[in-house]
Amino acid sequence: MSISKLMLLIALLSLTGCGGELDDLSPSGENMTVPVVPGSSGVQVSQQAIDFVLNDTLNVPLTLSAEYPAADALVLYFTMWCPVCDSHMGYMRQYIRPNFPNVSFYMIDYVSGSVTASRQAQLSNGYTDFSVMVDEYQQIQDLYNATMGTTIVIDSTGIVRMNEDFKDGVKLYETLSLLP
Amino acid sequence: MLDLSVDTEAYDGFWNSEGQHLADPPGSVLSQTRLNLGIGYRLTDNWQSSLVMPFIWNDNEYAGFTSKTSGPGDATASLWYEAFDGITCVWQVNSLADLKPSIYYGLTMTIPTGISPYDEVTNSFDITGRGFYRLDASVLIDKTIFPWNATLQYVYGVNFERPINREYGNYIEPYEKNLGERSLATLSFGYSYQTDKAEVITVTLAYSDLTEAAGEIDGQTDQTTGLGKTSLALTLAYSNFKKDWIYKLTFSQADAGYNFPQTEVLSLGVSHVYF
Repeated sequence: MSISKLMLLIALLSLTGCGGELDDLSPSGENMTVPVVPGSSGVQVSQQAIDFVLNDTLNVPLTLSAEYPAADALVLYFTMWCPVCDSHMGYMRQYIRPNFPNVSFYMIDYVSGSVTASRQAQLSNGYTDFSVMVDEYQQIQDLYNATMGTTIVIDSTGIVRMNEDFKDGVKLYETLSLLP
Repeated sequence: MLDLSVDTEAYDGFWNSEGQHLADPPGSVLSQTRLNLGIGYRLTDNWQSSLVMPFIWNDNEYAGFTSKTSGPGDATASLWYEAFDGITCVWQVNSLADLKPSIYYGLTMTIPTGISPYDEVTNSFDITGRGFYRLDASVLIDKTIFPWNATLQYVYGVNFERPINREYGNYIEPYEKNLGERSLATLSFGYSYQTDKAEVITVTLAYSDLTEAAGEIDGQTDQTTGLGKTSLALTLAYSNFKKDWIYKLTFSQADAGYNFPQTEVLSLGVSHVYF
């Protein structure tokens, strides 16, 4: 067997050996979501949101549940100050927030590691008009199974109404429109 | 032909949707290293094929977060047709016929073998691929009048819509997604020096302009997507007398863009041709 053929064989074998990480080769549109008990404590849609306390970038502690009564809903957006995050946050600022004045928007910074660094990132990226919570040790990111772009909507009773990637913002707009 | 190359890409902030450059968070050091294994095979006098398999290491350091992950990248399979029969490289121009360029037509399929947000992953730092099949059609026009060379390449790519039922390991209500059409134009100029041992050293300067239109979700335009960048690349290449070993060193820098990170790429590669 020539070296070229051997390398081709290795390359082809590597295409077939990575289990669940190669699902993109044959993508599925099947709904695999697992139903949850409405009102139970958790992070899935229809569950009672798990409470937490985080400092914002002005060092003011914010308790999630304490924010419920003041707004129709809370929107939590997980940011790492990347191009995609900037695009999402800019879209929220321009097209979503103006239509929902009674909804509170919070960005959760899970990469800066300190209030000081997070404040600096907030200023340099031009998002002083949003409240930014600082998830210094990624505890809330882990708790909510979140990552870059994860968007969570919690209504005024603490029920999770949405928990998924921001995508094009349509789902967020629809979710907020359906609030009582 | 076998080709092996290593790319090291360093990130230095990004351009937002308005083309304004924004810095990464303080204390960030972000980089990606790619090992690319390529195999080329000549099918006939005018047709050749190739397969490239990358393996990727992501190294992300933020002030409060460190992540080191690795995995296969998206593979590409290509088919090229050479629309010329004789050698078109000339030493001097004596007639109009000497100006005839070499024209290549190519088709490249990107295969989503990388780790995408729609695979079984937990966070965005694991990502090494985009998750979509893409077909690129290329035309490359090349003219060499020794020691000078000029190349113009245009690539147009379309992605294939796909269903998505999972994001970063969480199953979600399924939807259809597609990325936008892609366009890449590259213009390059090179100068070759031949040693007294008939080895060839070539320096090439290339300018590229890449754009990707906004994608679609369930058939509706996703206004948060779309990207663009322009970049400059300088390549130093060496080939031996038999032209069966070629070494390349390339430095590329993105100089403007939108919705795209600013990066610098250093690439070192070696190719061996089996006659």
